This record gives sequence, structure tokens and C-alpha cells, in this order.
Amino acid sequence: MTKHTQAYVAALSPTQRRIAQLGVIFVPIVTQVTEILRVGSLAFYYAFKKPIRWREVVQQSFFIGNRSLAFVMIVLGFLGMILIFQSGFQAKRIVGDLQGMGALYLQLLFREFAPTVTALMLATRVGTGIAAEIGSMVVTEQVDALRMNNAEPIQYLVVPRLLASIVMTFVLSCVALCVAFGTGMFVANTVFEVNVATFYNTSLLEWGDLIIFSLKALAYGITIPIIASQAGLSAFGGSEGVGTATTMAVVNASLAVTILDFVLSGVGYIFFFS
Amino acid sequence: MIRISEVYKYRGHECVINGVNLVIPQGTQVGLIGPGGAGKSLLMKICAGLVRPDSGSVLIDGTEVVGIGDVEMTSVRSKIGMLFQNYALFDFMTVEENIGFPLRQLGGRTEEEIRDEVNRLLLAVDLPNTQKLFPNELSGGMKKRVTFARAVIANPPILFYDDPTAGLDPVTSGKIFALLEERRERGGTTSIVVSHDILGMRDICDSFVLMDHGRIVFSGTREEIEASTRPFVGQFWRGEADD
Repeated sequence: MTKHTQAYVAALSPTQRRIAQLGVIFVPIVTQVTEILRVGSLAFYYAFKKPIRWREVVQQSFFIGNRSLAFVMIVLGFLGMILIFQSGFQAKRIVGDLQGMGALYLQLLFREFAPTVTALMLATRVGTGIAAEIGSMVVTEQVDALRMNNAEPIQYLVVPRLLASIVMTFVLSCVALCVAFGTGMFVANTVFEVNVATFYNTSLLEWGDLIIFSLKALAYGITIPIIASQAGLSAFGGSEGVGTATTMAVVNASLAVTILDFVLSGVGYIFFFS
Repeated sequence: MIRISEVYKYRGHECVINGVNLVIPQGTQVGLIGPGGAGKSLLMKICAGLVRPDSGSVLIDGTEVVGIGDVEMTSVRSKIGMLFQNYALFDFMTVEENIGFPLRQLGGRTEEEIRDEVNRLLLAVDLPNTQKLFPNELSGGMKKRVTFARAVIANPPILFYDDPTAGLDPVTSGKIFALLEERRERGGTTSIVVSHDILGMRDICDSFVLMDHGRIVFSGTREEIEASTRPFVGQFWRGEADD
């Protein structure tokens, strides 16, 4: 705190000081949310404006999709096995009947686990990549060079990542769903001797589940690159600034995915499942 | 012409640009010198519209740069070429794509014309056969020459060179200054050169502006700065250490 600030704070009344303390907490949050919304709205504006760098969209799709595929498949594969293993034992102890386990599990995967866990994986893997890449471009003045050449950084850097992420988050969520269901089916069959045909039960699935699955995948696909890009664009200083931006991207993107999950689950409940 | 009037910029409570007034006439090359942290690069970025000052005015060829919209800024920036301190070469583009980028952005030229112009400039900066290389395959001196080529390819009437010889050996620095001098001799370009390399700058600038702690402490020609009796000016110009 500078001398000027110290003198200013000392002159405040206790009530004013409490309000100032709240400001210290909330002003940076509000500023950051405003900045994320600004980057997001500009990204959407430029997403519908030519030129779109399709070559970069394909490259980013490869980076987000193909390079995250193994990571997502392994995590969701193990998660599927753990879920069925743990829930199977509980169900056997309490209910004693595992016939409906496959149907419930499939519904849970559609509504919750497949898009949300995939998004959390992408927030760490893709979010860090985007923030580090754009952040290092900021600190090495490449973003300034874009501006000096009348190339809008959001159009040039954020839009290709946004478009690639929208498509790839949906694709990866579908893959994750299949893998998690497959590994879950394997455990159900080998550990609890549930027949494969019995486990594969779509009777509980509704259109609402498919809509919520798609909505969540779309929302996460939009949120992650925008939050990560905003973190990268706000980087300053040197490598330390890039590190801070990367951490900020993971924390903010994971938080946003969790909050969006809560909101969209609520929306799903109100419109489809209540 | 560049006219800077009463420009102030604060970082927190620290005034990093403190009431700067400066006029750079058309067609002159001005050396902006001063110790590290004096505000030279920041002042240049304010002139380029990359940093917004807290108050003051910057006129580039009669157009106000401070507080204008993106559309007006586009027309101002199309008049400016900038060589960045940290090279600022796009690492996802080849040398050829980097140098040709300003022309592609301006539009109105075929790919063949752009390629010819890039090749001509690569020969001028003594980097033949590097078209397909990426920035991470180049040395520091080569990168500086590529970024110089990118700054001048569109023949902008205004050029900003931000520490063009930072981190380079004396031979490579000499080559870079020779390119700047060649550009000046062609005439018609208004330019600002920010550098710590006083020796290299002496012969390539029409006048010098010495900054310290965000203020302009001296402004004049080489003869005037050499004749100055002010201790700080003489000490900095001769590169002498504090007693």
C-alpha cells in the first residue's frame, strides 16, 4: 500500500472502511467478469464477420480435439468404472437389484458426467494451452504487432479457438459418454454379473436429456476458450505474467463450468424433468 | 508531423509519463534516449495508440490518437510502421508471411506482388533464402532484420523503432543502424528511435530527446546536446558512470 493510499484509508470512518474492504474483494471480480463478457461479445461479433481463418480453426480443432482425446478417454473410462463399482456395491446392499443400474447410469452420463467432466478436463488441458499461448504473445508484443497492423487480436486469435472449441467439446463429450458407458458396462458385467443387454437400457432417456447434454456441451465449449483467452490477453510482464494468466484461466474456467452446470441442471429440471 | 501535448500517464500513484510536450517535424528522425525506466518505450506506445494516456493529446499528421475509435485508429495505424523491442514476430508464421503481413492486411495487392516485395526486402536486409524459416529458427540479429523489414514493407510515412539493437552484438547493431540510416536518407519518413546505444545513434538522428523519470529533460541537435553544460545530459551522452 502506498503512502497516499495509507493516508486515504486512515481518514475513513469504520463503516467506510468496511465498504472499502468489500470493494477490495468485489471490484476485481466485477472487473474480470466484465472483461470476460467484453471478450465474449466481441468474439461472437467477429465470429459472424469475415474473414474467418479456417486453417487456424482446423489447427485448433486438432489441438483441442485430437490431442485431448486420449486424456478425456482415460479419465472418463476410469471414472465410469469407479462409478459403477461404487454405486453397484451400494445398490446391491440397499436395493439388492441391479437391473435398472444401466438405465440410471446412462441418464446420469447424459445429464451430468459426460459433458461436465469432459469440460473440466478441457478447462485444464485446453484452457491452460490457450492462456499460455495468447499470454506469451502478449508479453512478446505479438498482440501489439497485430494491432499495429490493424488486425483485431480477438478476431485473429480468439475466434478460431472459440469455433474449434464449440465443435470439439461436443464431439469429445459424445466420445466420453460412449467410453464411460462402455467401461461401466464392463465392470457391471464382470464384477456384478449384469447382462450386457440388461445394462444397455435406454428406457429412462428422454429428449430433455439429449437437449441438456447438447446445451451443456455448447455452453462449456463457448465458456472455456473465452475465459482462457481473456486470461491470456490480460497477461503482463514476463514469464511470471504468463504463469499467472494460465493459473487464472484454469481456476476461472473450472469455476465457470461448475456454476454453468448448476444453472443448466436447474434449467433442465424446470423445463424437462419437473 | 507528430505533436505530443501535456501527456500524463500514471501507474498506480506513480507518474510514469509526466507532462510530456514534443513536436517531431515531418521527415525528421528523432532519437529518444534516456536511462531504463525513463518512459521512452511507453511514450512511443502512446504515440502508436497502443497505450492510452491518462490525459493529454497526441496528433499524428493532424489526427488525434488519444481516445479515438477503432475505425479512426485503423487509418492512423496504416501510416505507422513499428519495430518492436521484443521482435514481436508472429511465431506461427514463416519469415515470408511475417514480412508480408502488413501488405496482406492493407489489401489491394496480389500474392505474387507481395512475394516479390518480401524477396526484395529480404535481399536488402541481407537475409536471402530465409522465406520458409520460422522465427524460432533465426538468431536475434536475423529476427531484428525481419522485424525491420516488416515495419518498412508498406512504406509507412511514420516509423517507430523501439530499441532496435537491444541484446545484439556490436557488428549486428551496426548493420541495424545502417538500415535505419539508409531509410532516413531516402527521406520523407518521420521516425522515432528509442535506444540506449548512444554511439550508434549519434550519426543517424537529426535530433535527440533525453528523458528521465517520465519527463523530457533535454531536446536538441547533436551539437546542442554535446555543448550542454547540464551534468546529467553530458554524463548520459558520454556514457559516464556516477561519481
